[in-house]
Amino acid sequence: MLLKKTLIALTVSTLLLSGCGSSSSDNTTVEETSFTFDSTELITNLTNDVIVEGYETLNTKANAFFLATQNLVNTPTDENLLAAQNAWKAAREPWEQGESHIFGPVDSLSIDPHLDSWPLNTNDLQSLLDGTSTFSADFISLLNDDVQGFHTMEFLLFGDGVADNEKLIAEMTLREREYLSATAEVFQGYTQDLYDAWVSGDDAYQDKLLTVDNDIYVSQLAVVEELINGMIGIVDEVGNGKIADPFSESAATADTSLVESQYSWNSLTDFTDNIIGVQNVYRGEFDGAADKTGIIDFVHAADSTLATRVDDEITVAIAAIIAIAGENELPFRQAISNTEARVRIQAAIDALATLQASLENDVLTLLNDWEV
Amino acid sequence: MNIFTQKKQYLSLIVSLSAILLSGCNSGSSDKKTVIEYPGYTYIEKLGGEATAVNASHSGHGFSTPMPTLNADELEKHLAGDANFETAFTTAPNSEHPELDGVGPVFNNQDCNSCHQRDGRPSTITIPEGKNRVLLGSSAGIFLRMSIDDGECAEPSIDNNYCKNEGVPGFGDQLFHRGVLRARAEWDAAEDALPFIGQANVYLAYEYSTVNYADGSSVELKKPVFTIERPYDVTAENRLDSAILQADVRYSPRNGMPVFGLGLLELIAEADILALADENDADSDGISGRPNWVFDAIKARDNGPLPVSLGRFGWKANTPSVRTQSLGALRGDMGITNPLFPDESIANTALHESYLARTGYVDTGADENGEPEADQAFSDEVVFYAETLAVPGRRNINDESVVAGAVLFEQINCTGCHQPDFTTLTGDVKLGGVDAPDTLKGQHIYPFTDMLLHDLGESLADNRRDFTANGNEWKTRPLWGIGLTKTVNPAAGFLHDGRADNIEEAILWHGGEAQQSTDDFMALTPIDRQSLIDFVMSL
Repeated sequence: MLLKKTLIALTVSTLLLSGCGSSSSDNTTVEETSFTFDSTELITNLTNDVIVEGYETLNTKANAFFLATQNLVNTPTDENLLAAQNAWKAAREPWEQGESHIFGPVDSLSIDPHLDSWPLNTNDLQSLLDGTSTFSADFISLLNDDVQGFHTMEFLLFGDGVADNEKLIAEMTLREREYLSATAEVFQGYTQDLYDAWVSGDDAYQDKLLTVDNDIYVSQLAVVEELINGMIGIVDEVGNGKIADPFSESAATADTSLVESQYSWNSLTDFTDNIIGVQNVYRGEFDGAADKTGIIDFVHAADSTLATRVDDEITVAIAAIIAIAGENELPFRQAISNTEARVRIQAAIDALATLQASLENDVLTLLNDWEV
Repeated sequence: MNIFTQKKQYLSLIVSLSAILLSGCNSGSSDKKTVIEYPGYTYIEKLGGEATAVNASHSGHGFSTPMPTLNADELEKHLAGDANFETAFTTAPNSEHPELDGVGPVFNNQDCNSCHQRDGRPSTITIPEGKNRVLLGSSAGIFLRMSIDDGECAEPSIDNNYCKNEGVPGFGDQLFHRGVLRARAEWDAAEDALPFIGQANVYLAYEYSTVNYADGSSVELKKPVFTIERPYDVTAENRLDSAILQADVRYSPRNGMPVFGLGLLELIAEADILALADENDADSDGISGRPNWVFDAIKARDNGPLPVSLGRFGWKANTPSVRTQSLGALRGDMGITNPLFPDESIANTALHESYLARTGYVDTGADENGEPEADQAFSDEVVFYAETLAVPGRRNINDESVVAGAVLFEQINCTGCHQPDFTTLTGDVKLGGVDAPDTLKGQHIYPFTDMLLHDLGESLADNRRDFTANGNEWKTRPLWGIGLTKTVNPAAGFLHDGRADNIEEAILWHGGEAQQSTDDFMALTPIDRQSLIDFVMSL
């Protein structure tokens, strides 16, 4: 659309300046890099079958997790604690993958900070556990974000993560279990709100993407721009924040306290899922599902070599993150202090930087050449 | 630089440009020639001059892009400020990260981004089904300013404390509705515990009204109404005895606002703004326009003879620079002391004394070296960030309705206050007391604000003086980027308390000096009303 506008402006000015009768007005040649692509199917697919389906999965798994915490309150056994831990990890997966499209209700309803504030405030959490308040969902919902959400529940489920990521039911108090379950209930309420905001009512957010020219997206170009910027955002955050911040400049200055999901030792799975989320948007389908239209098809319409290159760069980045653990399967919180693992971490940072540069400099800029 | 007279493009066209294109050049019929005056801003895409960003101007990152003209060092500083802007401060003490602690002990939010979501407006609070009000908490990007009513203040001087508002005894001039876990003595009470509550609980509800157009269509408007409960200075039973619930206390809700393009606004020459002022409406157009003269903490710090400057930022233009605005919010809204504002927001109040005594004096507003909680580098970076966020480029500028709306925008005199353009200063100029970056200088910008105060009528009035601004006056908001507001945050609202859900509602709330323009807008045909809205949305 941008190109189209430019052409109109050129045409008008040429008419006005050159005057009628001039034959010199045909020099407004279209640049060779321009391309056409019908993005309707891309937007429909990514909205319905990637974003909304991902949020539906998140909500389903949040429900299952809440039930697992109720079981734990009612029947405090090691088996039920393990089941709750696994249910937490299961809910974590669609959330982390969904971070490749952090826009819309997840942001405007403050669901991201409610669910995923990091770091948590362990001092305040302990004060509340030592206090006298009854832990209901209503009570938890009024608390600060740094004593609720994923990481608060993670801390309660897995312990402090320093020596191991295992916790026995004998180490878990009744008030911890009650706090966990009330927080899980609030948590599930937010995942329900998120899903509903996308699919329900007159203002369902999915419609803003599917039927453009509204108060949020003026065109399909705007939606595609949003989707590409969403990918860039999480690649930047993983490479330059989640990994780089605790990694620091040297093993001596590595900062464990900045490692996300350090209690469960789920950090590398989180980061991997983040970039798998990018892959989902880029390819248009979840891993292993049948081929559908994604950003790759938009890129392919402009430059098939670039389309393949970016897909490869995503694959390489995912592999590089997985490789950080090494043969000893180090959790990330230990890897940042390990000399050999630090080489592998740097390789992952580099792979993410390469991918980010391609998305920013080569993919996002295609919007300028796209004749919508 | 002298651009007060709106430049116009005079184009003699046959009905419209499309007519030229369609009819061809051989047509000799000129019997329907109409002269259309297209305001100079009609086809301007780069509202921030060269400091405009176009790569994200259609999507949710539209307010979050650094100015493209920053050099490498400036970009690095900007990105450091970006991280600072999202830094959530924590309760003191934080042994792992002492550089992050010290929030509050009472505050409105823990990071900048919560009130300026994605560098734009915060989400408007919605009332859940089955409830009639909502307690302001971590999702709220709005707070209440407050002060004792002491009449108007015309000329700031040392004798009247530079027209500063008189805060409420024991509270101050801003109601901090949140707190750290133990801010209130009753944080873990057996009944009605108040964990994470600040000076008082603030609830928000709405009252509704309807505006009818002559063509039979109507618009429902909503207005926030606030209720204050559990103020810290009295028991629950004696609520009405609280200092903040006395008859002479005035409140003004303040919603977060966008933070891009601010450095450009600060580099508009003061003389250019004052030249637009028409305090006594000498030109009899119904629009006056007054500057606000406000206390300047930087001049005071530097021992200037009269620490007063032209107000430029805030809903009532009550701060003179991005630096005083940002660092004032850091200390006030978040409770993070800094080199410009080194004292805790609630220093010397009974609540602070009680908190310190109950918690062993661990959060006195200074770090372990006796320095402010945020250091100079952190402060400089976050200020620079807000000064150098790019203005987003326009969209749909050739759309027929947008072009028609641009003409109507001038015809019904929206431009009387929403002054389209300025050229920023050049040469050796300062920004908040430090050298201004070159990228902001000499830019022809289109912010659509005259940077002045205007009486917008009783319906919108907060009835609270703010320095020399009276209770009916508000500063003209810049309109650049406004069309991306909901793209950046779908739940955002407009005006000082977020009451307007869209541009049309915002227009309809305009009264006072803007009443004639509002009346003219309401008298337009539905198509023309939509055109005017389309133009504003293209900005």
